[in-house]
Amino acid sequence: MVRKSILLLLLATAQGVAADGPSFRRDVMPILFRAGCNQGTCHGSSRGKDGFSLSLFGYDPKGDYFRLTREIIGRRVNVAAPRESLLLLKATGAVPHTGGSRFSRDSAYYKTLLEWIGQGAPDDVGAVPEPVEITLSPTNLLFKGQAKPVQTTVTARYSDGTKRDVTSLALFYSNNPDTAGIDKNGLVQPVGQGDSYVFARFSRFTIGSEVIVLPEAAGYKWSNPPVHNYIDKLVHDRLQKLKLLPSALADDDTFVRRVYLDLTGAPPSSEQYRRFVNAPRAEKRARLIDELLQSPEFTDLSTGLWAESVRLMGGGYTPTATDLKAAEAYYQWIRKQIQQNRPFDEFVYDQITASGSNLRDGPTNLYTMLVHDVRFKPKAFASDFSQLFLGIQIQCAECHNHPFDRWTMDDYYGFVSFFTGITRKPGAEPREFYIFNNRSAAPSRHKVDGRPMIATVLGGERPATANLDSRVALARWLTSPQNDLFARNIANRTWARFFHRGLVEPVDDLRISNPPTNGPLLGELATRFVKYDFDQRALIRDICNSRTYQLASQPNATNKLDDRQFSRARLRRLRADVLLDSIIKVTEWDRPFRNFPKGTKAIQFYPRTPGDTSQPLWFDDFLKTFGRSSRNSICSCETRGEPTLSQTLHMIVGKNISNAINAGLVTRLLQRGDGPSALIEELFIRCLSRKPTAEELAAMLKLVAEDVKEKAPYEDILWSLLNSTEFSFNH
Amino acid sequence: MNPLPFRQFVSIREPGTLRVGRGLACIVSATILLTAPVKVVAADKPKAEVITFKDHVKPILRQYCLKCHGNDEQNADLNLQTYATLLKGGSGGAVVKPGRLEASVLFQAITATDDAARMPPKSPPLPAKHIQLIRRWIETGLRETRVSKSLAPAATITFNPSGNAAMKPTGPPAMPAGLPVIKRAPNSRRLPVLAMAASPWAPLLAVSAYQHVRLFDITTRKEIGSLPFPEGIPQVLRFSRNGGVLLVAGGKPVQVGSVVLFDVRTGKRLAQLGDELDAVMSADISPDQRLVGLGGSGRTVKVYSTADGVLKYKLTRHTDWITALAFSPDGKQFASGDRAGGLHLWNTSNGGLLFSLSSHRASIRTISWRSDNKVLASGSEDGRLIWWNTKTGFTSISNSNPHPPQRPSGVFGKLPNGVLGARFGTDGNLLTCGRDGHARFWDVSGRQLRTFKVATAIPIQVAISHDGNTLVAGDSTGQVHFWARMPPAKQ
Repeated sequence: MVRKSILLLLLATAQGVAADGPSFRRDVMPILFRAGCNQGTCHGSSRGKDGFSLSLFGYDPKGDYFRLTREIIGRRVNVAAPRESLLLLKATGAVPHTGGSRFSRDSAYYKTLLEWIGQGAPDDVGAVPEPVEITLSPTNLLFKGQAKPVQTTVTARYSDGTKRDVTSLALFYSNNPDTAGIDKNGLVQPVGQGDSYVFARFSRFTIGSEVIVLPEAAGYKWSNPPVHNYIDKLVHDRLQKLKLLPSALADDDTFVRRVYLDLTGAPPSSEQYRRFVNAPRAEKRARLIDELLQSPEFTDLSTGLWAESVRLMGGGYTPTATDLKAAEAYYQWIRKQIQQNRPFDEFVYDQITASGSNLRDGPTNLYTMLVHDVRFKPKAFASDFSQLFLGIQIQCAECHNHPFDRWTMDDYYGFVSFFTGITRKPGAEPREFYIFNNRSAAPSRHKVDGRPMIATVLGGERPATANLDSRVALARWLTSPQNDLFARNIANRTWARFFHRGLVEPVDDLRISNPPTNGPLLGELATRFVKYDFDQRALIRDICNSRTYQLASQPNATNKLDDRQFSRARLRRLRADVLLDSIIKVTEWDRPFRNFPKGTKAIQFYPRTPGDTSQPLWFDDFLKTFGRSSRNSICSCETRGEPTLSQTLHMIVGKNISNAINAGLVTRLLQRGDGPSALIEELFIRCLSRKPTAEELAAMLKLVAEDVKEKAPYEDILWSLLNSTEFSFNH
Repeated sequence: MNPLPFRQFVSIREPGTLRVGRGLACIVSATILLTAPVKVVAADKPKAEVITFKDHVKPILRQYCLKCHGNDEQNADLNLQTYATLLKGGSGGAVVKPGRLEASVLFQAITATDDAARMPPKSPPLPAKHIQLIRRWIETGLRETRVSKSLAPAATITFNPSGNAAMKPTGPPAMPAGLPVIKRAPNSRRLPVLAMAASPWAPLLAVSAYQHVRLFDITTRKEIGSLPFPEGIPQVLRFSRNGGVLLVAGGKPVQVGSVVLFDVRTGKRLAQLGDELDAVMSADISPDQRLVGLGGSGRTVKVYSTADGVLKYKLTRHTDWITALAFSPDGKQFASGDRAGGLHLWNTSNGGLLFSLSSHRASIRTISWRSDNKVLASGSEDGRLIWWNTKTGFTSISNSNPHPPQRPSGVFGKLPNGVLGARFGTDGNLLTCGRDGHARFWDVSGRQLRTFKVATAIPIQVAISHDGNTLVAGDSTGQVHFWARMPPAKQ
């Protein structure tokens, strides 16, 4: 009798999930997710919590099944007395639980878990349909004034084609709770004026709906400003939706300063200023933009920015393969490509597929510079690579699926496998390394189950390589016009260069849960970039010619608080190197740079050390103080713009400013003998790209009236101008 | 260590003249030399080449290590240039221990998976063949030259079962009579066999069930009675050495736990000990029945007096849940293991620590004493089964994967291979079960005698009948499997 019942029981277990009973993957795992059991602060932590560990947000159902039912048999799940399973006792708070009560005994969650345990806590047999997509409806919510809250619905589509309402199993959050809040059941509540996104998460998916909250309509009228190009149209669409009005067009003085700083890395000289201001009116802004885009200064600036983003540095410690000579080869190669206006896709393609000597073949140094280390590290390189070229941070997926984006561990390890064959072979001399891809190298292995992961592009369904060098396959995919990720990333980074804020911010964190502030605009910029054959100058030309770029920074009543929609120009501190180059250009100072020849500009300067490059390096106190990137990581946050006390002191009493002022500019200007008014005007134009106002001129003349030949008062005026925020900001 | 005794120690290593040194040298090397007869460890096959410092290890050290740890430079005070200085070790003590890879810092340093921790620094790991040579050199006892004797302790210890007879009860061994069989509630499932024990003198088997203990006659393989355990789930079952008392420990998870002693003949409750905040996970009764030790999620071993229920002492050395606890057959020592892999040997009379048996890297799941007190077996979730020499605290036999799971095609990575149950029979053979779904039977030298497959579930507990003729395993669906033990293979 006993035997017979045991046999029956075994049969029940062996059959696994009963036809209509709860399935572990389909029904139990989502409850652990919804109840918060597997979140990072609880059992999803890498070391678990209070001795019980789950995979973070459920990336490893097989392992979670083992830990729940098999690790300590009979404790967490007790099939003989299901209600006494620790899983249920803890989750309902019936016994002491650090995480408190997660749901009640009469909730649907409890019933499902109890039913599952009552069936013997079976594992799933065969393939269980997986969610392949989730949708959140409504996709747009607009609240006007005191509006009622709105219930959202989350629907999951499964691999077998079925759909299921999973609202009660999803997690919700808002990225701007001051505008709109969302509760744990998906009810959206307007809070304050603005735009925001609410997100739902289920399984490995995150999806957002836009929420706009407007005040009661009170006399808003669209000002109907002129449109220069498609950029303005898309920005204006957005502004109208949010009931904002753009500021006025900036005057010529402001424009010429802004465009010189942004395109050449320094303010206009007095001749450049005068030539523009006195030029005939028609199309002169567009002509200036075209002229500057062809200037060598634009090439220098673009080269410097790219060199910084690939962490270009020259070292003396040979094992890191980043010798001075390698750095210079890479720098010169980059400069040449930019000077020739090489299409950006080809520019990137050449770096990815580069093979050869690090000393002679510049682009190979992508594989020495991006991650400075004595060994090539495929994992570190893969995440930096995707952060730079795609704006996507995949490193989370090394240990668990990305919690707020679509990237899974499969994506991560498949991507890492593109680089597992990268080899550095010692060359003819100690400084030299040959860099090539060993095509027979083993692929990376999945962290959870040790599967070998064949190189696969992000989001790719099947391995990328057939007979190709895996890097060629990667480069082809990356720079393909169909690869939206690449074009969007470069478009966003280009936009950020001119507005000091990306359409997605930060620029190296593009993800579903960090949507662009103006999605159609980012989409259009990317489309145009592809249409221009990846000509970055063409894209920049569009941006600089837009009215949006040429707006004044003075706010109006509607856009005072706007910081995201480009309804006015943003005030921004000059980058450290641009600030230093501006001081150099204004004062005609011949400033030395460490380990560089005379005449070098700050934007051309990169750290050249006799030592190891795998550490934060500035090699220039001014640049360090003003927040230039230390090049210690790929992160865009390495470049800082926030003010500090030492910056102020540096400008007031620092050696750089006093040396610049003492470099002889005032003496030379005095020798011209133009008289005090003209001299003061010259200094104003040089520093601030404008003539002094009548009051300013009168006040200054008083200072110099006593002795027109004495240079000290003029130097004081120059000092004051350099110390003004008008000088150190682009406005 | 004092270099002097080592020099003496080394100097006597002449061909065929292994002698025990005197004075200090004797103490230092006692653990190594006194365990004669020296037997070559399993890894050293009869015809395998003898791995020596001079011929094999020195060239490797010269190539990779001597620049920083040689005669010219001694980082961390470590000089690997000569055999004597190598044995002497560095500022952190000895870097190699004969036969003990886990305790050999040198081996751990060259095989570390963390780039920052691995030697040589900022370099790729040593080639696998070199690591293999060093591994075999340590395992085979750190020979200096081809004619040196191995420093590794014996792999096995002779077994003398006489120590067991002392506990034979007078009169007929205890068998229950007239106990009712408790039926489980309809439609409910069986509790996994979380605990199981066989009487040392009678054909009696106790098996845990939900809120009761099932009693089987091993001869007939029939259920003959039950003991109610309303305290909850029995997690531990142990017979006293004379078979007269059954210890049942357990409780309700994160609520209450205790130990109950039953009279086997009558089913009468003799005592209840402990008032824990969680189910008791490990417990044992001392051979003289005066003490009961218990442990659980509180990380504290508590030893109670059975006479008055008074707590004699607490041991707080464990860093995780206490998952295993057992008194030695003579009662002088007991061992306790925890979920972090910690395993300690204690003096029963005062709770003093004798040895920390540190080798397991994951939860200890089971421990069992051999009837002559000399050997303790431990099984762990790290997949290893170790026979410990309880006189020296060293490993006698270490099997790193006694229960290798079958790898389904297309499955990669580590498969669970934990050893879940282990019990010595009175003849010194060991029965184990593991996550591979098998029970396995081992002889005193660690050789596998028999294998039994449990097809449908994970075998959690094992037991060997008093006469050694029936082997039993209990699985995760509550089923009990009986196998007849075959006569030992003819030599």
